[in-house]
Amino acid sequence: MPPSCNCLGGALKTLRPSPALRRELDALRITPRRTLASSHRPNTAITSRLVAKSDLSCLLRTRNVGQQDQGLVGSLRKPLLLSRPFSNSTPRSALKTIEQVRARNKGGPFNLTAAILFICTAGGLWAYLTYEKERMARKRIADQTKGVGKPKVGGPFDLVDHNGDRFTSDDLLGKYSLVYFGFSHCPDICPDELDKMALMYDKVTEKCGPVLLPIMITCDPARDNPAVLKEYLQEFHPEIIGLTGEYENIKDVCKVYRVYFSTPPSVKPGQDYLVDHSIYFYLMDPEGDFVEAIGRNFTADQAAKVISDHIKDWEGPLKKKDRWA
Amino acid sequence: MGWLPWGSSEQEGGVKKTSGGAFESPSRTNRAKCYEARDAFFECLDRNKILDSVNSRAGVAASKAACGPADQEFEKNCAHSWVEYFKKQRVVNYQKEQTIKRIEAQGGEIAPIEAPQLPLRPQ
Repeated sequence: MPPSCNCLGGALKTLRPSPALRRELDALRITPRRTLASSHRPNTAITSRLVAKSDLSCLLRTRNVGQQDQGLVGSLRKPLLLSRPFSNSTPRSALKTIEQVRARNKGGPFNLTAAILFICTAGGLWAYLTYEKERMARKRIADQTKGVGKPKVGGPFDLVDHNGDRFTSDDLLGKYSLVYFGFSHCPDICPDELDKMALMYDKVTEKCGPVLLPIMITCDPARDNPAVLKEYLQEFHPEIIGLTGEYENIKDVCKVYRVYFSTPPSVKPGQDYLVDHSIYFYLMDPEGDFVEAIGRNFTADQAAKVISDHIKDWEGPLKKKDRWA
Repeated sequence: MGWLPWGSSEQEGGVKKTSGGAFESPSRTNRAKCYEARDAFFECLDRNKILDSVNSRAGVAASKAACGPADQEFEKNCAHSWVEYFKKQRVVNYQKEQTIKRIEAQGGEIAPIEAPQLPLRPQ
């Protein structure tokens, strides 16, 4: 009985903003006992509905309601309840006297155990949610280019690697790849970026195993033949794969990767020129889809973290075997 | 004067270059030599308070007069296209610095570029 009484109070309280109902409820206020006891009076339909509806919320509300509705339903309360307005969890049978109850509830529902539990739960939830939020953000980036109607970066190509062997986009499948566009006669940015690429590759391999292919595609096929690339890239990292090809093939690969470059189509032997080109690293997933572009503003450490996090998110198969094995 | 696409750098000594003035091989050692010569030349320009050594006639003349030998050394150790690139880059970098200083003096803020903007439309 007492909880229902509280609930009536709770119901009255919750509905305060609605003036029409309030008038009706004010009328009920006079005879709370009778409305609860007898169910055939005209007013009872609405009352019992309210009681049923607010039953759950009342359990949570008892603390507020307890003090305010004493005048209203005081006559229904047992003396025990008057002294413990906060109680809603202790089994009543265990506490026999008021003193016991007082001792039990000294300080309200807050004690050390509750505080520790609260902090642990909050901390755990926070850590989990932060992790999930970051993971979802990465997934969103990774999924942005999956599916139909999405802008596509990357695509089929047919080139020659630094050993003179054919290398196509199919050779990228099964591993993540980090694709960079550059040229060996690049004054300052590309060498810095390739040094960074070597660092990134080492860090990612250390964390995730050999699942990343570092690839440098030249934008200057006239000068960068396989032999030049091999000698050039050897100084940065022996694992970096240099790709070159005919001018048309390079133009095609630059187009599918949305890379701007400005090599003159026909150059004389020995001619001295620079190639203007986009300077992003393109991270491609094991299915050959674009994941993320990494710009110059990333340090090797930051970039390695971005890449490793994406690799750890990957749920599909990954080839751990060496490509050359 | 030497910044036609090719033709001015058949000098003795320095790194090996093609007839067009490009590096035979832009290896790490060659790059290091080039950077060293560049830094020496720019230091000389700094001492003589010259910013531009490539874009204007007056700039070229001033740098030749003040830092002629360093300039020659620079040309000798770098591909010609690199020399031109670095000289222009010096001016651009200076202007960039000045712009940033001016914006900051006016109370503005230079936001670091967080996410790279990709050209996602087909060319």
